[in-house]
This record gives sequence, C-alpha cells and structure tokens, in this order.
Amino acid sequence: METALTKVKSEEYGGELIQLVSFNLEKEEYGINVLMVREIIRMLNITRVPNTPHYVEGVINLRGKVIPIINLRKKFDLMDAEYDKRTRIMVMEVVGELMGFIVDEVSEVIRISGKEIQPPPPVVSSGIEQECMAGVINQAERLLVLLDLEKMFSADERRLFSNVA
Amino acid sequence: MAIDCEDQELLDGFLAETTELLEKLDDDLISLEKSPEDADLMNRIFRSIHTVKGASSFLGFDMLVKVTHKTEDVLNRLRKVELTLTSEIMDVILEAVDLVKTLVADIKGGEIVERDLEGTIAKLIPFLSENAVEATVLAPVFAPKEEKKGAPAATPAEPAATAPAAEASAPPQEPEAQAKAEPAPSRQVAPAPQPKPQPVKEPQKAPAKGGGEDLADNSTVRVDVKRLDDLMNQVGELVLERNRMIQLHSDYQTGLNPAEFGDDFGKLSKRLNFVTSELQMQVLKMRMLPVEKVFKKFPRIVRNLARDLGKEVDLVIYGEETELDRSVVDEIGDPLIHLIRNALDHGLETPDQRLAAGKDRTGTVVLSAAHEGNQIVISIKDDGRGIDPDRIARKALDKGLVTDEQVAAMGTREILDLIFLPGFSTKEQTTDLSGRGVGMDVVRTNIRKLNGIIEIKNELGHGSEFILKLPLTLAIIQSLLVEVEKEVYSIPLASVIETMRVSKKEFHMIGGQEVLKLRDSVLPLLRLQRTFGCQEAYTDRDTCYVVIVGVAEKRIGLIVTRLLGQQEVAIKSLGKFLANLPGIGGSTIMGDGRVALIVDPIGLVGGAA
Repeated sequence: METALTKVKSEEYGGELIQLVSFNLEKEEYGINVLMVREIIRMLNITRVPNTPHYVEGVINLRGKVIPIINLRKKFDLMDAEYDKRTRIMVMEVVGELMGFIVDEVSEVIRISGKEIQPPPPVVSSGIEQECMAGVINQAERLLVLLDLEKMFSADERRLFSNVA
Repeated sequence: MAIDCEDQELLDGFLAETTELLEKLDDDLISLEKSPEDADLMNRIFRSIHTVKGASSFLGFDMLVKVTHKTEDVLNRLRKVELTLTSEIMDVILEAVDLVKTLVADIKGGEIVERDLEGTIAKLIPFLSENAVEATVLAPVFAPKEEKKGAPAATPAEPAATAPAAEASAPPQEPEAQAKAEPAPSRQVAPAPQPKPQPVKEPQKAPAKGGGEDLADNSTVRVDVKRLDDLMNQVGELVLERNRMIQLHSDYQTGLNPAEFGDDFGKLSKRLNFVTSELQMQVLKMRMLPVEKVFKKFPRIVRNLARDLGKEVDLVIYGEETELDRSVVDEIGDPLIHLIRNALDHGLETPDQRLAAGKDRTGTVVLSAAHEGNQIVISIKDDGRGIDPDRIARKALDKGLVTDEQVAAMGTREILDLIFLPGFSTKEQTTDLSGRGVGMDVVRTNIRKLNGIIEIKNELGHGSEFILKLPLTLAIIQSLLVEVEKEVYSIPLASVIETMRVSKKEFHMIGGQEVLKLRDSVLPLLRLQRTFGCQEAYTDRDTCYVVIVGVAEKRIGLIVTRLLGQQEVAIKSLGKFLANLPGIGGSTIMGDGRVALIVDPIGLVGGAA
C-alpha cells in the first residue's frame, strides 16, 4: 500500500493548505499530517510483547488485525504518565505498516498554509524528538511541532525493533 | 512493447485458460511418450495446443500463434500416424511448449518481449516435410532464413475457427542473436545446446531446462459451484442469526424478562457457534487445492533428469487428489523438486549398476500423498542404493561439520540427519542438477517454516524414503493456552509432547542449567517467565506446570504458571516490525478480543540447546 505521505519540508508546501491533526504530549502541542492518520481510538487492552525496546508498549487487536503500539512519551524520553480518559491511540500508517501511537490527548484538526511552516530550530537539547521534527508552526497564540514519523523509524531502528533480545 | 488489449476481461480469461491448458499439457505429453498409441490422449493434446492457437490469434499474439501453429502441425501429423513418436520429436515438442509458456508469461507480465522463435521453429520444420518419418534432429544450428522460408509447410485441415492470416502476414523477424541476453521473466528457453558437464549416453541436446520449474501460479481459484452455494447458504444463516441477535438486544432494552433472555441468548450462541464452525469449514475447503497442482510438474522434470543422468526411471504417483491448503501448496514445490532430484541423482543407480546389483534396469521413484489425521504426509521413495551412514559420517568429518567424538555417540538416525546440515553434499562433484547451491538444509528449513517435519527411512542397497508431514493449513492451528504470571501465551499443540504438574522442589541445577528428572532422562528447563521477562505475580506457589515441547529429537520443558486449556486459534502475523522476535512465532486473538502471543518452540529449543 502506498502511503499518501510526502516528506514534510517547508519549501515543499509553498502556499498550499495542509491539514494537521494536533495532539498533546506533556503540555506540548504536536502536529501530524492528517493523511497519515487512519483512526483515533481510546485506550484498550494492550498485550505486552517481550524483548522489544522499552517504548514498544505491546500489540492490540484492531478489528482482527494485530498492530504494534508505541508509547510516544517513552519514545521521546518524557516522564511516564498514567493513562486517563483523554489518552488516545492514533493509528497511523508508517512505512507501509499500521502502528498505534499513544498520546495524551488529541485536540483538533487545523488547517495551515505551507508558508507557516518554519524549519526546526537548531538543536538545543538532544531529545529524540529532534530527529523526527520536520518543522515548527508558529501561530499567534500557539506553537506546534510538526512531526515526521517516517524519520522516527530509521533503518537500524527498524532492525532494533525485532532484535532487542 | 506493451500489450494493447482493450478488453482486460478477455485477456484475463485467455491467460487463465491457457495457463491451465499448458499445465496439463506437460503431463499429458510425458504420458503420451509412454503410450504413443493412446488416441484419446493424442487428441486431447492436439486440442489443447489448437485452443491456445485459436485464442492467441483471436487476441493477436502473433508470436504465440507462430509457435503453436507449427507445434500443432507436428502434432497433427503424429495424430494421423504420418509420423511415429520418438523421443527426439518429443524433445522438440516439449521445447516448443516451453517457449509457449515463456511467451504466455511475457503476456502475463504485461510486456511482450521479442523472443527468438526461429531456433525452435527450425527444429519443428524437419518433422513437417513428407519424408520426415525417419527425420532426425539436425544439429541444432539455426536454420538459415532462406531454408526456413522455403520449407514446405504441410497444410493440415485448417479448422475454420482460426485466422489463417496470422501466419502469412507475420512480419519477417530480425534474427535475434542476442535472444539469451534479453531479460527473461523467470527462465530462459535455451535456444542453443549447453555443453553438458558430464558425458550423456546419447549425443543429444537436453531439452530446454526449467520447463515447469516455476510451480503453479495460484493467483486465481476455481471453486466448485456447489461449494459456493453452500457458502452462500451459510452466510444466509449467519445473517439470520445476526438479525435474531439485534432483535434480542432490542427486546432486552425494552425490559424483557431476564430469565427468558438468558435462555434465548444461550440458544443464540449455540447456533452462532454452529454456523461459524460450518462457515470456517467451508472457506477452508475452498482454499484447499489438490496436491496434483504440484505433482503434475514432476513427470516432466523426472524425464529430463533421467535423460541427463543416463538413468532409467519410472515415476509412480499416488494420492494426487489429496487436498491441502493453498498456502501450503505454494510452499512445498521447491522442497519436493529438490528431494526428487536427490532421489534420482544420489539415490538411483545407473542401469548397469542396477543390473550388477541384481535389480531391474529401471529404477522406481514413488511420490505419494495422503491424509493422516489433520496432517498431510508426502513421501518420496526410491529403490536405489540407499544412504550409507558410514559414508555420511565420513563426509561430515571431512567437511569438519562434526567431530569424531560426536560421531561415535550418534545412532544411525542421527547420522542420517547429518545430511540436513548446511554445507553437506555426498556427491563427489555437484552436477548441475542437484545441489545448485541449495542443500538439504534449505529443504528442512522450508519444511519447518510450514510447521512440518521431515523424516528419513533408509535401507542400504534397497533404497531410501523421505517423508514430509505437513499441517493442512497455516492459518489455523490447535494450541495449548498457558498462563505465565498473568500473561497468556499459546503453544502450538503440534510440538507439545506432554504436560505435567511439578513441585518446585523437583528442579535441579546442573552446570547453571535448570533440569528435571523425567523417568530415565534429564530434561533441560526454560522458565518462560524469564525468557519473556514477565512481571512476577505469584511468588507463593510451590507447584507449577511443565510443558514438554519437542522439535525433531530435542526435548525441552517450558515452565509455566498454569494451563488454561486447548483451543483452535487463527494465526495473525505481528507485522514486519516485530517479525523476528526470539521465541515468538506470531499472535492470535482470543475470545475476549485480547491478543495472545504464540510461542515458537523451534526458536526456544534452538536457543536452549
């Protein structure tokens, strides 16, 4: 299956409108291209899978398909938090595979113009999120970090996924 | 050049039908060689080629028409007994059929490639002239063009259904000297003889190799209409039950008597259970294919091999109607080809050697399939020289695969199992037939991937038998559900040998390895809780359960907290990110919608031993 995903680069979007799904992690706001997101579901029973990286929470049954679930808080080395009634799993298609990402809260879908995307700031902290930061959107009252999840799963990362014994 | 065919449906129909005809053709041709008098068979072969010709000329595939036309002419003469069938003629016909297959494969691939037809057609031509009864194959140098043009084309009674214009208006082709350099889709029809690495008894060229190497392409299925009707009925039943359920729910919401609801709901779940089991059976049956799909390739392969090796072989096939799941059918082709090659190359002796050993000149290879419970058993049996354990042991020592001490400790069976080691070959020199860089280790790996096992029976001097035992389907397995510290895992029942309840006092440590004394042997143990890093939930228990799993000859005990019972589960893959987890083979979804992981015993046993 082809993902309808294009690498997000600020110059690529020119003046066209793109839609982002915005979600929160640890009070910060992030955005993901809406075309990547398949569905957003509430928390459900996650089956732990042994010998996987710590941020792989396990697998769930999504209407008969088994998909891996990644805890974005753990992935970005943030503090652990209890799941609450606002916790959501965002199911996305990354490099041709369905995956779920646990986020604190999904807020809305926003439209922005490609012009509003600025390149990510030079590295200040060496968080993992730096790697998959595709840009920053600076609107009057808010700051959004635009994520590119394809980058999150670099080649060796994908190998690691299966060989952490 | 791309294919321009306005009617995709016509094209698909053509491809499906032609593929089917060609599959059958190989088999029929080999049978014909054995019984050239069989007029029915002859006519059937003629009709098949004729149908392919008609359909291709209708759709305008000129190259196909050319080859099939000439082949048909030769067959026609055979049919009218103007020619007597010799193995030379058969070689040429088979070569032509291979060429047809290649052309059809091109069409299937969506690109028509200019291929060299002249070489093959030139070989067919001699059999068409009037005095060709004793014609022998010319040295396969390409006949120059003039000669070809001047060749008297015998005019058989052209049935009116085909377009006779196809041949006349075919544009003259460039002689393709580079035919071999072209990218071939899956194999090449060798237009020129290849130097054989070993002397062959008769100085003939081998027929184009690879005919039937790529096994049945199963992109389309033919389903018996009755099965389809049954399925529709079952789905109808399911719809009824669903309506009943919706009804029940609305009754319940409007405040129905709870006791009655319980009764009704109980009945409903019984019926639903029944309908889904039936439905599952039906769909499984639809996915089933007779193993003949694979078997019918073999007569041809055996014929060519026997000729190349200078051996005389009878291939006997039993149980080709045995059905198994498509997924398995797709996978067993290659291992079987390899085993058959081995039987001919290593197993059977040459006619002279056989006579010297007091056997018939002709060796026999028996290929059989049968159901045994919910397994399919496929056996490849030859009456050749058998496998000499001493030779195997020596060879393994020479290659440094085992040590002297190891060999000394081995029984005959274990020694025979050495042939499955990577890098093992008993042939002093590998021919281009066996080997090919793949050994028995690959065969075994392939069979294991299918959750199957492979066994060897052997009688020195009288032959050997390779037995494959495979599950009928890969999609659903019987499994034992176990609990490991509050997590549920599923262990494939096929590899479970026994389960027992043990007190923790009975475990011993030997050299850092936990073991259990079991009757008169010592069983290594593996704590699944540690292997899978589960949170310890029960610390106060002093008994636990041991599930003894076995892979081939190895046994290992898995320590689990509790046994939950046996269940038929549908296997779900974990996707590519989680593909190679040690000890985990997949997952399944349980009754409550949760995911349970399926343990991969092979991985665990390999890791522990």
